[in-house]
Amino acid sequence: ILILFAVLQFPGPVSDLVESHDKQVLFAACMSGVYCVIQSSLADASSSPSELKISSEFLLVPEEGVLSLLLVGSVLLTLSQRDTSWILTLYNCPKQSASSSCESLTSFSLPLVSSVVQDDDEGKTGVRRRPVLICVCSGDATPLPSSSTSSSEVTLTDRHIRLEPVLFKLLFGVDAALAKSPVILCGLPDGCLCFLPVRLAGSRPRVLHNLEQPVVFVGASAVMKMGLGHAQCLVAVGELGRVVLIKTDKGGPEGGGNTAGFTERCVPGPVVCGCVDKNCLYYSTGSDLLRLDLNEETSSKTDAARQSPTSLSVCRVVALAEPAHNPAGEVELLGLSVRGQIQRITLPLEKEDTGLSKMPSTQVGRSVRDLLSAIGDVCDRASMLKTGIKSKNQILKHLNQVLNISFLLVAGTNSEENLIRCHATTKWSRLLQKDSLNLTCVLDNSSPYVLEHGWTLSVTVFPLSYPPSAGGESPSTNFSFPFHSLPAGESLEVSLPLAAAGVASFPMTVSCSLIFSLSSLLGEEAANFKGLQCSCISLPLNTLTVDWLHALQVSSPIDAQKMATSQCNNTATDTIQTFLNSRRIKCSGRGEGGGENASKPKREQFSASVRVLSELVRDMLVVKSSDEDPQGPKLALQNVHVSLLEWLLSEGFGGVRTGHQGDKMSRSVIHARGPNGHTVKLTAKESVGKEESLTTVEVQVESSSIAAVCGLHHAMLRRVQRAASTKSIRSLGLRRALQRAEVTTKHLFLFSFIYLPAVSSK
Amino acid sequence: MCQYWWSFTLCTVVTFQFAFTFLFQQQERGAEAVSHNQNQTHQRWCLSEFHKLSRKIQGGIPPLVDHAQSELTVVYNTCLCSAALSQLSEAELLLSQATERVIQMTGDDPISSDPPAFWRTLLKSVGNTTFNSSVQHLLCLQWALWLAKCQLKTIQEFQDELFSLSETLSTELGDDKRSSERGKSSDIPLLVMDPRRLIELLQTCTFIAQGAERLSEGQSSEALSGLQKASSLPAPRMLLAYTHHLSGCCLASMSCPQMALQCYRKAVETDSRCVCALYQSLLIYRELGNTQAEIQALRLLHSSLLLPSATEPPLAGAALLSPSVLLCSQSLNRLLSVPSALSVLHSLAQKCVLYGRVSEGVEYYLDLLAALHSDDQHGVHEDPPLPRLPELYLEAGAALLTARRPADCMALCDEVVGTTLELLPEKLVLEEPEETSEIETGAVGAEGEDRMRMLLWTGAAYLLQGHCHTHLRDWKQAVTHYTRCINLLVKVHFKKKGDADMVGKQGTNLCILQRLKGLSLAGRGISFSQTDQLREALRDLHLSLQAAPDCVGAGLWCGEVLWRLGRRQEAAACWEKTWSFTAQSSVEGLRLYLQEPQTGPLLDSTELQHRIQELGPTLSA
Repeated sequence: ILILFAVLQFPGPVSDLVESHDKQVLFAACMSGVYCVIQSSLADASSSPSELKISSEFLLVPEEGVLSLLLVGSVLLTLSQRDTSWILTLYNCPKQSASSSCESLTSFSLPLVSSVVQDDDEGKTGVRRRPVLICVCSGDATPLPSSSTSSSEVTLTDRHIRLEPVLFKLLFGVDAALAKSPVILCGLPDGCLCFLPVRLAGSRPRVLHNLEQPVVFVGASAVMKMGLGHAQCLVAVGELGRVVLIKTDKGGPEGGGNTAGFTERCVPGPVVCGCVDKNCLYYSTGSDLLRLDLNEETSSKTDAARQSPTSLSVCRVVALAEPAHNPAGEVELLGLSVRGQIQRITLPLEKEDTGLSKMPSTQVGRSVRDLLSAIGDVCDRASMLKTGIKSKNQILKHLNQVLNISFLLVAGTNSEENLIRCHATTKWSRLLQKDSLNLTCVLDNSSPYVLEHGWTLSVTVFPLSYPPSAGGESPSTNFSFPFHSLPAGESLEVSLPLAAAGVASFPMTVSCSLIFSLSSLLGEEAANFKGLQCSCISLPLNTLTVDWLHALQVSSPIDAQKMATSQCNNTATDTIQTFLNSRRIKCSGRGEGGGENASKPKREQFSASVRVLSELVRDMLVVKSSDEDPQGPKLALQNVHVSLLEWLLSEGFGGVRTGHQGDKMSRSVIHARGPNGHTVKLTAKESVGKEESLTTVEVQVESSSIAAVCGLHHAMLRRVQRAASTKSIRSLGLRRALQRAEVTTKHLFLFSFIYLPAVSSK
Repeated sequence: MCQYWWSFTLCTVVTFQFAFTFLFQQQERGAEAVSHNQNQTHQRWCLSEFHKLSRKIQGGIPPLVDHAQSELTVVYNTCLCSAALSQLSEAELLLSQATERVIQMTGDDPISSDPPAFWRTLLKSVGNTTFNSSVQHLLCLQWALWLAKCQLKTIQEFQDELFSLSETLSTELGDDKRSSERGKSSDIPLLVMDPRRLIELLQTCTFIAQGAERLSEGQSSEALSGLQKASSLPAPRMLLAYTHHLSGCCLASMSCPQMALQCYRKAVETDSRCVCALYQSLLIYRELGNTQAEIQALRLLHSSLLLPSATEPPLAGAALLSPSVLLCSQSLNRLLSVPSALSVLHSLAQKCVLYGRVSEGVEYYLDLLAALHSDDQHGVHEDPPLPRLPELYLEAGAALLTARRPADCMALCDEVVGTTLELLPEKLVLEEPEETSEIETGAVGAEGEDRMRMLLWTGAAYLLQGHCHTHLRDWKQAVTHYTRCINLLVKVHFKKKGDADMVGKQGTNLCILQRLKGLSLAGRGISFSQTDQLREALRDLHLSLQAAPDCVGAGLWCGEVLWRLGRRQEAAACWEKTWSFTAQSSVEGLRLYLQEPQTGPLLDSTELQHRIQELGPTLSA
């Protein structure tokens, strides 16, 4: 609580007030001189504030126009302005009170830099700006002996500063430090910051810095919190907002040790008054009270200029007392308002969030880095999840395709018009003088679905009949072809060896299926699970049959002749063949009654023939040709028997074609070699029966191998049967159908008829 | 009208009497040692009252002969008070207004503006009037103003008339006396200062000022004759002493030192506060090389400077007008100037230590340091300036060491090192500047210059500490401190600017640097030699001789080390060379701490001579 103690009335406006160190004497500078009031003389005032008129009997120094005062020990300094200079006068202050006047010790005159002072409105208002006077002691100097009796009571008031010794030496010289002299620091309204060591012989005032604007405040702040109560930094504030911080720069230029560093900053002015505590400068612009954190300046010099003070929202403050910290840790300021009110301004404690903003830059950097890396982690995780979802979607889509295909295949197993199916081509090839029959199997995907990664085409080949030596088990061979992708409308071609010459037995069944492996669907992770590896879906496609006709090696006419001659002449070269043949001849000879001579070189020929009604053949061929070749019918009609033979050899029966489709075999007699190496002769001829309608085409198979004859015969029969059963219904009318049924029975008859004599004899 | 005038006169006279008595009361109190300051304020108050009075008279009364005398008396008093307060222009204005009114009274035509001619005609025109004497008083004031404004030429022109004034006035005074005896109730106003006293003062001061002016112009004999005249005039003690002093100065410039000394002695005898005579005599002793007398004079000067009244211009008795107002010419001030007590004390201490009075010198140094640390040092401007404080510390330290007080010396050095150590640069380039005037101000020069000095101070402090340890025969510590010094000195890189023999110039930084190098290396070499590290010792001593060839200790010890190493001829040559140097070397200009230490291990030259002689036969053989 502030108590009004006494009211003093001076003869003129008071420009400055100073209290003695023991707070017993009050010095006041008026226009007419410096007055001195002893506070004990006011003590007799009872409850009410006593009023005291200060008259000339209190006059201590009759110097006119004193603007500022400072008491250093027993020395009273006055600063006044003459026309073109500042006069700094030192008075020896009497030890006992104010009864006698002061004795002038010395006086210094400082030239006035008029440029700054002239342009202000000083002349109009008539009020002169007060220069700032403070006393600076070196931190290691002993405290000043004051005029009071006990020097221990000496407390440093706001006009006395203890400065860090190094900075003191740098600024004020070694001599002042050695003499332990206090230094008067003087901020003048013309912008000069001067200093004068008080107790140093031969010292003169010297300029420390020039602010180029009226100095409003000079103070000290312990910006770095390490000192033993020594200020580390001098702060001077100009009226227009220039703040000069004077600090020690460790390690100056060219390795020159410590230097005094002057840092200038600008705050929005005008600055009316200011005060400073450990870290902050508080200043009033008249319309607002602001706080500038001096500490932040150390972090980076570049944005120091941009550092803006924080507003405390107190207006009309014209004077400030030194800030104090109350027990709660809050900063308390005493301010004087324009209207003469003394205000106690308590600043709230800095909250945590503001504390956060005050983190050192390194910490800020670290936290930013942490945040960034956290963001990065989240991003990674999100993208990982996204890819997971994407892959799952992919898998689902894949699975959908698989399921579609599965349904398609399951539904279409029975029908011929399966959208996904295989067909094959046989082709003889000769590798290392060994003939082998290759089957080129083509998977057609005419479905709207894509056969994606994970599908495997599995082809199983097994003979329809097998020798008993195989042990009752079908000697099947399994080929699987995993493929990557088969889009709709494309086909996959795979080749597999069907049999080497003379090894396999025909007809063979080629069974195709598509296998989908679940593990491929789930990818690499799933591959680690043992149980998953064998879990797959197998969907059968169609089954192909490769019969004797497919396996024939048709010789060209020239070859056939050559073969015929070579077979006659080349007996010596092929003795094993001859031996085998002779054995078969013997067998056959015995089978037929053993009438034949064993030494007879002429091989025994077996033959079988198939007779088909010409009309039927014609129908078959027309239907067939009309599908493929518009010119076909004519040709077929001319040579029905040739066409039949051609058809038999080239027809893709059961989805399998022979590889020698290319060359037209417009011959009625075809020589060929069977898969077991025996030559085969196919002869077709047309024979006209009794009735016109019963003209037949006969295809005769002749070979020395009965297996070949039987195989070929069987193959031919199957084809004709299939062709007749399927095509006749489509192409012929109902009337014909009846007739054909008859014919068919006749065929059957004929077949049986034909077959039996073929086996029996020739 | 008449009634009015009478009352007015009465009123003015009453006012005047009041002012007058007040002034005299003050003067009486002034005798009781009232401060100069207070005296002046009262004078000021009187002056303002006189001003009011004279304004009233000049504004309210027509210029009539009847009242001329009282009017002019008021003007005289006012002017005198103004002049006493050094308000010369104000006094002059008042005076010219008064003379104008006199001309109006006599009804003469305006006369020429040339001051001597003006006054001549004025005096002639008022020759037979009643207020003749009053006009003469005014002329005295005019004289005083001329003197105060140093218009010696004008005075010269008018000198005869002025000097004759005293005679005419003394006869008038007799009349006055008679009249005052006759009628005590005379209403002729009193004068604040007797015009005859004023004329005496003016005459002496004129002689003194003229003498000083002539002396400065080189006309010593003419000056002397004038001063001789002045010395016979009745004058205040102080002025008399001044005449003796100035005569001494004239004689000194005429190269008659002994006669000059006589004059100075007379001056001091006349007025013990005439310290300038003491100072000048000390300069003569210095010139004559009489150091003991110089020291004596210094001591005397110092003690008289410490007297309370010595520095303040003393009031010349009861005289209102102080001679200091009249004697303000620059040439005179130069002759009367005295260095401050502190610089006198410093020279005293320095001289004492240099010339064998070590213990006395040490005491003076300690007094000096104490004075510098006392509370009542308030930046009094020194002219010539004292050395910088660290230098004083180092000098005191050197003195203490010479007085065999190494502990005290080390304490002082520690203080210097402690102050400067944090400010030392890592590297320094020394560029010897052209002749600058920085010594004159003693102020902190360029930053680099100051750093250089700091480095040299620190180096010197280490050097002194090394000397201290050498004195204590603590060789290890001595080597440590010498090494610190050397390490510091090698941080300086010298950048040559052309002039090769900069080293020779005493007082330059380079000279000090080389000297420090030489001494520290010599010290370390000697320390090494004491610990039988002869090789290191020889190396350091050689280096020392390179840096400072005139270092006697290094030369002798170098020979000694060579001798111990068995290189006797070299040793002998080294000694011979050193002795030849010793003759010509002068260390007068060097600071105390740059002198060779007198405390370390010493070699007896005669013993060395002996050795050389013993070596002689072998050398010839």
